[in-house]
Amino acid sequence: MDILKFAVRKLFGGIPLILGVTFISFLLMVYFGPDLTWEKLGKNPTQQDIMEVRHELGYDQPFVKRYGNYLKQLVTLDFGNSQMTDKKVSTILKETMPVSLHLIIPGFILGNIIAVALALFAAYHRGTWLDKLIMTGSVVGMSISFLIVIIAFQLLFCSSFGLDLFPVRGWEVYNNEGNIIWSQYFKYVTVPTLATVFVALGYNTRFYRAVLVEEMTKDHVRTARAFGHKPASILFKSVLKNAMVPITTRIMFSIPLVVVSGSLLIESYFGIPGVGKITYDAIVAGDQNILKAIVGLTAVLFVIVLLLTDILYRVFDPRVELK
Amino acid sequence: MTSKTLTNANEFDPNNFEKGDSLWDKAWYKFKRDRMGKTGAFIVLVYFIIALGVWFGIWGGAWSDTSDDLWQGPSMQHLFGTNVIGSDVLTRVIYSTKVAFEVGFIVAVLSTVLGAVLGSLSGYFSGTWVDSVILWLMGVLDSIPFYLFVAAVAFALKENPFAMHIAMIATFWTGTARVVRGEVIKLKGQEFVEAAKSIGVTETNIIFKHIMPNTSHILLVQSTIAFVAAIKSEVILSFLGLGVKDGVSWGLMISESTQDVLAGHFNNFLSSSVFLFVLVIAFNMFSDSMQDALDPKKVS
Repeated sequence: MDILKFAVRKLFGGIPLILGVTFISFLLMVYFGPDLTWEKLGKNPTQQDIMEVRHELGYDQPFVKRYGNYLKQLVTLDFGNSQMTDKKVSTILKETMPVSLHLIIPGFILGNIIAVALALFAAYHRGTWLDKLIMTGSVVGMSISFLIVIIAFQLLFCSSFGLDLFPVRGWEVYNNEGNIIWSQYFKYVTVPTLATVFVALGYNTRFYRAVLVEEMTKDHVRTARAFGHKPASILFKSVLKNAMVPITTRIMFSIPLVVVSGSLLIESYFGIPGVGKITYDAIVAGDQNILKAIVGLTAVLFVIVLLLTDILYRVFDPRVELK
Repeated sequence: MTSKTLTNANEFDPNNFEKGDSLWDKAWYKFKRDRMGKTGAFIVLVYFIIALGVWFGIWGGAWSDTSDDLWQGPSMQHLFGTNVIGSDVLTRVIYSTKVAFEVGFIVAVLSTVLGAVLGSLSGYFSGTWVDSVILWLMGVLDSIPFYLFVAAVAFALKENPFAMHIAMIATFWTGTARVVRGEVIKLKGQEFVEAAKSIGVTETNIIFKHIMPNTSHILLVQSTIAFVAAIKSEVILSFLGLGVKDGVSWGLMISESTQDVLAGHFNNFLSSSVFLFVLVIAFNMFSDSMQDALDPKKVS
């Protein structure tokens, strides 16, 4: 019951954030954004035609009303039609979201689990050459641009210049009923996943090791050591469990941005029809209805993630009060 | 400074400091003994000299010249080969160094200044409406997907060549501001602030003359982080068509090389990637050693 009350209060507390995000993006993208009137008009338009198109696009209404309409769209999840393809935005999102999730989830999970494992290993062997090797590796990983990794991995695994094991582009993983064919899925998801994991490992390992090492220098760990607990059990019970709060925060907060930004590069480079690809196409073409939908939904996702993080804190650290 | 020569270079001995040594003296002393950091700083310096050379027109000016030697491999005439329209890849890579430094400097300096000012205000007035507004703004900017924000700024500024810079400055300051805010909250309870208040120093002067200078070590580290982030973002944004519009940059070179690599010509891709990678890793090493030197609480 407490959790429910807390959740409702938190959700209301997230409203200013959603208003801010939608306001700034509306102001920049739509109000000061490109004027689509001329693209919709034929040759030699009359004054009447211009007025009609402007009315259709809503340009003749005052700012407050147009912004209000956007908020109404966000609440009802009805964003109108895409200005490029004339399909309903909600339908497009329904089709693309599962693709993005299928693409992102393996890399996201592996990237975090391997990073925590490496960080634990490095922290356990702190100061030795093993630690230094892992940390040097993660600085190298951090310094390579995601774009370079994608291009290099594609060359290495998908082209005749390298191993030529996997398809270069595309996403033909669903059968006619829309279910996943697992062997195909494995073929198409491997290289993008390897690239995501490679890039994520550098940043994640470094961050997790810093968190773990800081926890290791605390007094309770020294006490546990003095009592003669085994190093491995100290590492997992006293160090890792306490470090779970910052680790969870990092993982949770990366979710909303990973869904959009992370897949944007991968999807546009590998030609995978997910949310990132349609976002990229919408950026290039100036399709405001799609962009409005994606920015608005990301903001909502952020608020939900903030809420879940607060609840998860409670799971890992009973001292945290829900207030 | 002669008293500070040590026999065992790996041991950090607090007795080697005289009373009154400042944070900066200690940091400089620590930094001098950090081999990784010195290597990083040296490489960054080399890049900086390359960039200066382009500014003064010594080299790199011919980046847009074309020739009939299309897609040539490395040779004495073209050390890194040529690209699809016959331009010399080495010249383009050198010119791009200047572009990278421009983006890095502009974004690092301005985003750090913005973060310092807003972070100090928010920290000093923590708990009041000023703090709430600034925190809200930070939360909002952090929740907009970065590439979409850049696209939105580019839309709004109508092809302004600095749209990318402005978008980066507008989003990168939040990281600095959060760290500064935390530090200012700690500092504002200290005696020197109380003393300044009691002799009637105005609030503006307390914030900007007494408190903010005490966060300068944070600002230095944060600006190097912003520098690296800006160079790396430029590459991806230019690839997406949102970055450098006219001229050439490592991002544009990598983006044009996606065609080359499919045809089996790797020199364009390799040279721009390696130049970018070496600068970023050197800067990361330099930034790390500065953090080690300047943050007394950091455990490693």
